[in-house]
Amino acid sequence: MSTSTSEIASQREELAEINSASSSRGWYQWLLIGVSVLFAVVSVSFVGSIIIYSLPAWAHPATLLTGRGWQSPAGPFGGLAMITGTLETSLIALVVAGVVGLGTSLSIVFLVPGRFRNIIATLVELLAAIPSIVYGLWGFLVLAPWMLKTFDPFVNKFPFASAIFGNQGQQFGPSLLLASIVLSVMILPTFVAISREVISAVPSEIIEASFSLGATRWQVIKDVVLPTAKIGLFGATFLALARATGETVAVALVAGGVADAQFHLLYPGTSIAAWIATQFGEAQGGEISALMALGVLLMLINFSLSLVSRSLVNRQRKVLARV
Amino acid sequence: MTMIDELVPQPESSNTRDAIRRTAHSHRARRVAISRVMMILCGVALVLTAIPLVLLLIQLIARGTSQLSATFFTKIPQSPSLVDPNAIGGVSNSIIGTLALTTYASIMAIPIGVLTGVYLAESRSKLASTLRVIAHTMAGAPSILMGLFGFTLLVKYFQIGFTAIAGSFALAVLMLPVIAIATEISVRNVPDTLREAGLALGAKPHKVSLKVVIPSALTGIVTGCLLAVARAIGETAPVLLTIGGGYLNEWRPLNPVSALPLSIYMNAKSEWPSQRAQVWGIALVLVAFVFVLSLTARIWASRKQKRNS
Repeated sequence: MSTSTSEIASQREELAEINSASSSRGWYQWLLIGVSVLFAVVSVSFVGSIIIYSLPAWAHPATLLTGRGWQSPAGPFGGLAMITGTLETSLIALVVAGVVGLGTSLSIVFLVPGRFRNIIATLVELLAAIPSIVYGLWGFLVLAPWMLKTFDPFVNKFPFASAIFGNQGQQFGPSLLLASIVLSVMILPTFVAISREVISAVPSEIIEASFSLGATRWQVIKDVVLPTAKIGLFGATFLALARATGETVAVALVAGGVADAQFHLLYPGTSIAAWIATQFGEAQGGEISALMALGVLLMLINFSLSLVSRSLVNRQRKVLARV
Repeated sequence: MTMIDELVPQPESSNTRDAIRRTAHSHRARRVAISRVMMILCGVALVLTAIPLVLLLIQLIARGTSQLSATFFTKIPQSPSLVDPNAIGGVSNSIIGTLALTTYASIMAIPIGVLTGVYLAESRSKLASTLRVIAHTMAGAPSILMGLFGFTLLVKYFQIGFTAIAGSFALAVLMLPVIAIATEISVRNVPDTLREAGLALGAKPHKVSLKVVIPSALTGIVTGCLLAVARAIGETAPVLLTIGGGYLNEWRPLNPVSALPLSIYMNAKSEWPSQRAQVWGIALVLVAFVFVLSLTARIWASRKQKRNS
């Protein structure tokens, strides 16, 4: 049986080879190749044009990577606040969204009764499609005033907490902490949508087998589901991180837009993408190329995250094929 | 039970057997208790996820619907003054601008994206596998970078200035990889037997591709395009750097236009409470656009799936 299947498969391969080698390469093949090359040209010029416009700014790499303060229009342009702000906000958001999101997807798969499962899954995917500006708007018009009126004064009552959060008795409203909160709410639906899919893809045979051996629900999750889905879940995590690092307008609205590089959570800050968005309007000459250089950094961070997550998802597919 | 009786050394007293049983019971009780606690924690996570999202939706609908009116949809924005702080006009310029931008972006992105996707699915060349990596990387690229690209290439290099065409180009670059990947997946899902049946009847490969493969993959392709449009319509960062904005009902490609996400971003920071309140209405309209597009895509896809199976 298996030999004949593989024979058919190999004959199919041959047929496809003959097809693509001999008769085709007509206008249609050339059209496909031409359009695909056009796509490649667009992608390459996408990367290329941003790099080329950023070149003048790389004359002072040390300032760009570790400098504090951003003096427009003449410089120096220090990128430390944006780089740390990006990493700080997206890592906090990832930890919050990762823990809460994993619990959510587990309960969608293992707790929620079957007939509600599809409705919730669709709802989660719809929430993931809500434009980020709407999350930013909610953070800016609802959460920021609340932080200003309630949360900041509350923290200020405790000198110890005030020192940790770093608002030093002041009240800001928009801050790095608020940006992290909005980011985590924003990436939650995305993370839940992907991780739910990864968890549901674990074959039901092995889940049922472990239930029949007398394992409790948590034992099944801990010893069977999570180890099988591990790599895919890491992939989802990296994807969510990529989304959080690249988020622009939501962070621009709620982070406060201050380039002081203070690192403290209740102090206003900014991120790479948000800084580009807020400064670009009035930027001239050297400042434009400095912003482009920040864009190149963001591209590096994002592309490496995407490549890692893609290879993880591919590996997960192989793991599932083996189970 | 017999198994256990054989395993447990017989001559021992019933005390030992009781002890074993008790240990087993307490172990089981512990396992069940741990499981309960962890599942409750998972449920708490579900509630934690739901609270902010439900709050957001409720506030969006409650504050948004109160803003919707004939003026909102048909009038252009107006600057409020101290004499009349509520004279803010409508957002017809942003609605027209968004529709224009999305249309131009779709015209640019859909043909290229679909054909690239077909190529990715049907070719096994080096070029195809390189393109696949590029497409997946581009699909996750931050949208602000598309804005920078639109700015450097069209606004600066080609000297077109802040125009609808620059903005829709940036959005098209954002949509392209999404469409290409969706097309590739749905073309790949067309059964090989269909393709081979076509070839066996003597049809040329391009005929098979155009008349057999693409029509049977059409639902998936259309769904992918709709989702790409749904994503592009809500993006703020690319249009922020490229379209220029403006108060007029403008749609022509070579003029500056406005867009719904852009006016949300601008009005949210307004000093006038009336304009800040209006933002909820704009956001509601934007989310309605996105939901209609994604729901249509999903319903259509699931219906087709049912018919196929």
